[in-house]
Amino acid sequence: MAMNIYDLIALSSALLAVLMLGSMQIKNNLVFYSIHTFLLSAETWWIEKLTSDTHLFYVGLTICILKAIFIPCFLNWVRIRIGVRSESAAFLTPPIAMFLGAALMGLSYLISTQLPSILGEGDTRIGATAAMSILFTGVLLMLTRKTAMSQIIGFLVIENGIYLFTLTQTNGMPMIVEMGIMLDVLVGVMICGLILFRIKKNFEHIDVSLLTGLRD
Amino acid sequence: MNIWFQWVCFSLFLLVMPSLAVGLIRKTKARLQNRRGAPIYQPLIDLCKFFFKGETVSYLSSWIFRSSSCVQLACILLIAYLAPWSSLKPFCTGGDLFLIIYLFALIRLVTVLAALDTGSVFGGFGASREVTLAVIVEPAIILCFVSLAAVSHTSDLGQVFSFSNQALHYDSPLWLTCGTGMFLASIVELSRMPVDDPTTHLELTMVHEAMVLENSGRNLLLVEYGHSLKIIVLLGLAGQCYLHSLPSMWTSSAAVQIIASILCLLLLLFAIALIEATNVKLRWTKIPEFVAYSLVMSIVSVFIAIWRA
Repeated sequence: MAMNIYDLIALSSALLAVLMLGSMQIKNNLVFYSIHTFLLSAETWWIEKLTSDTHLFYVGLTICILKAIFIPCFLNWVRIRIGVRSESAAFLTPPIAMFLGAALMGLSYLISTQLPSILGEGDTRIGATAAMSILFTGVLLMLTRKTAMSQIIGFLVIENGIYLFTLTQTNGMPMIVEMGIMLDVLVGVMICGLILFRIKKNFEHIDVSLLTGLRD
Repeated sequence: MNIWFQWVCFSLFLLVMPSLAVGLIRKTKARLQNRRGAPIYQPLIDLCKFFFKGETVSYLSSWIFRSSSCVQLACILLIAYLAPWSSLKPFCTGGDLFLIIYLFALIRLVTVLAALDTGSVFGGFGASREVTLAVIVEPAIILCFVSLAAVSHTSDLGQVFSFSNQALHYDSPLWLTCGTGMFLASIVELSRMPVDDPTTHLELTMVHEAMVLENSGRNLLLVEYGHSLKIIVLLGLAGQCYLHSLPSMWTSSAAVQIIASILCLLLLLFAIALIEATNVKLRWTKIPEFVAYSLVMSIVSVFIAIWRA
């Protein structure tokens, strides 16, 4: 059974997301996130080539510029301003989180075989596997990490998973919907970045597990 | 091409290339650090120098120490002749994957025994560290090989890597994950930079160097040559995985495959030099986190293999 480039790009972006779990360094995570998102825009361009749907080219370009370049740069700037280098502690050690991510990749394959193919043409199971694996990885990132910075990255990874799912199952949504989501993500990340400054200013750390013990 | 001519070419390549590979890594690393560096053929000259030097052997050591370097070199030569790490190698059956894995384990066993035999402190802790690393890195190598073997329905590595097994044609994801897993595992296995610094002789950091510290003269020649041979064999196997992931390589002629395999080997050597020039050695407790990357790669390749089967 041959595997085409379309599946290869989707799987490698899922694999990069799993590898993000293995590093506690926030800068490494951002670099991995950037490459992982760039692969998503490459996937969009590849589908544009397959279906000759020109609006997907602009969607891919926007993803490449906004999510793969601008957001990581912005978060890196915030990281330098706050002065965080690495995750202080995690609920799961990185190797175990990474193995769990790999196991969830297998689980998402089992789930995706149960899915009905929406378009009814071609094999969309690998795309669904990759998308669900990215989704699970994002959840794992948000659950296991303690700094607010990693929570933002986890949220972005979840968003990528949902985007890849719609892309592979329906060959892309209308342009206006994509642009709306992109704007929401951008604004969300900007606000999160600004809130990080506030948290840092008020509590002098960005460890979210310590935020529950608030008193006036 | 005559098969004898091919074997002679391959043996000559085997004699010269390991030292040149080490020289190439050192030269590239020096260039990346704005140094001029020793010439590429310097390790070859070093080996000649070791040949004419006298030997000092501890009077406490037994025949284990004397024989270990020979056994080690014999094993790695056997692997080099059996395993399909380069397309330059004439076709040869019998390179069973479990044989290769156990030969690598045998090399490690004799090295560790020799290190313990001399009774020096360095040998002891070097051996202990080496065995700890081996326990965590061996599953990665085994899983990579086994997933390839499971898809191709044969445990003969010569047939898995022969560009003729149709079950593995167009199977780029499996080849890529296996190749990356093998490459990361071989960095640990060869005690290169993020895990062990090959240039240092500081007692707190060395792993492989601590074990071979007692060797001198011709013994050292055997050990050094064996280790550099191990470098090109392991990197060659990883490189072959990468080459097999390109579908166009499968249909190209033998000459192109030979040139591509050598180029791929050089590229991986360059990658090692790049990693060594840019990274610092990891703290000992952080090493399992590095090995986890290669383990995850091998686990993913097992998943792909299960999906295929």
